[in-house]
Amino acid sequence: MVHTCAKCGKVYPDSSAEILIGCSECGGKKFYFERPDIRLKRIPADRDTPVPASPPSEASEKYPLEDNVGSRVESIRIVAPGTYELNIEKMAQSDDRVVGLGREGSYAVDLLSMSGAKKKKKSER
Amino acid sequence: MSIFVQAKNRVSKFLMAFFKKRRSRIGIYGPPNAGKTTLANRIARDWTGEMIGPVSEIPHETRRATRKQDITITGNNGSTITIDIVDTPGVTTKIDYKEFLEYGVGKEEAITRAREATEGVAEAMHWLREDIDGVIYMLDSTEDPFLQVNIMMVGIIESRKLPVLIVANKIDLPDASPQRIRTAFPQHPVIPISCTEGSNIEELYEKMVLHFG
Repeated sequence: MVHTCAKCGKVYPDSSAEILIGCSECGGKKFYFERPDIRLKRIPADRDTPVPASPPSEASEKYPLEDNVGSRVESIRIVAPGTYELNIEKMAQSDDRVVGLGREGSYAVDLLSMSGAKKKKKSER
Repeated sequence: MSIFVQAKNRVSKFLMAFFKKRRSRIGIYGPPNAGKTTLANRIARDWTGEMIGPVSEIPHETRRATRKQDITITGNNGSTITIDIVDTPGVTTKIDYKEFLEYGVGKEEAITRAREATEGVAEAMHWLREDIDGVIYMLDSTEDPFLQVNIMMVGIIESRKLPVLIVANKIDLPDASPQRIRTAFPQHPVIPISCTEGSNIEELYEKMVLHFG
C-alpha cells in the first residue's frame, strides 16, 4: 500500500512519517491512498523503480476522486462476494446505507434505512 | 394477587425512571485482533466473575456487539464506578474473505464470516453514535499504530467529545512498542497492558475510575 502526494506525486510507502508531517519535496499535506491491486494496473513497469514526480494536474487525472474513500458516497462497497470496503467516516455519520456494487460506480440505496428506521428504534426502547 | 404485583412493578418502573442513575456505557473499540474481547472478559471476570464472549486468533471472531451490564470497579482510593462494558467487533476499512482462508476456514464459511464482520463494523459504528459514553481504544502494541483506520477512529471519537483511554495491549510480546502508540496519540492517556498475563491491568482500572467516573 502506498501514499502519493497530491501536489507533486511523490510516492511514500505505507506508514511513512511524511504522511503526518507533510511531503519532503513540496510540503503538501494531502495524499492519495492507493490499493495495491489498482496500482499494479496503472503502473505496469517494475514497482521498485521510483515514480517520477508529475505536475498536480496529471496526478489528479491519474488518481480520480473516487479512489479517495473519504469523499465516497457509499458506506459499504461490495467489491466481490465476501470482499467489502467500508467507509468508516460515513458509517460514523448515520445509519443511512448506500451500498456500492463492484468497481463500476453502481449503487444500491437502502431507502428503509433512511426513512422510518429511527422512529421505529425509539419506539422499541 | 397478580394485580398487586403488576401495580408494584409499574410504580417501581416509574420511580426508577426518575431516580435511577444512568450507568456509563463504555465501548471497547479497536482494529481486529487487538484483544478487545480478552479485555472485556478480564474486566467482567475480575469484577463479576462472568465472561462475555469467545476469543480466537482468527480476526473478526466478535461479529456482534456484546454488552455486560452493571460492572462496578473500585479504585485504590475507594471510589467506584458502575459501568456497562460493550465489546464491539473490530473496526477496519477492508474485509476480504480470503484472509480467513489462511486460518483453515472453508470458503463458504469465510464468505459468511466476511459478511457478518461487515455488519459488525456497521453495528459498532451505530453504537458509537447512539449509545456510548466513553471509549477504551485498544491497540496491539506489536503493530503499527499509524494506520489510517486508527487515526480516523480516534478522530471520530474526539469529534463526539467522548472520553477515551488508549490501551496498548500485548506488551508481553517481544516486538511490543507501547511508546510508538504514545507517539501516535500524545493527546490521550496510553496504558500499556497485557490482557492474557494480566500485567498492569490495575493501572487500567485506576484510570477507568478516574476517567469515566
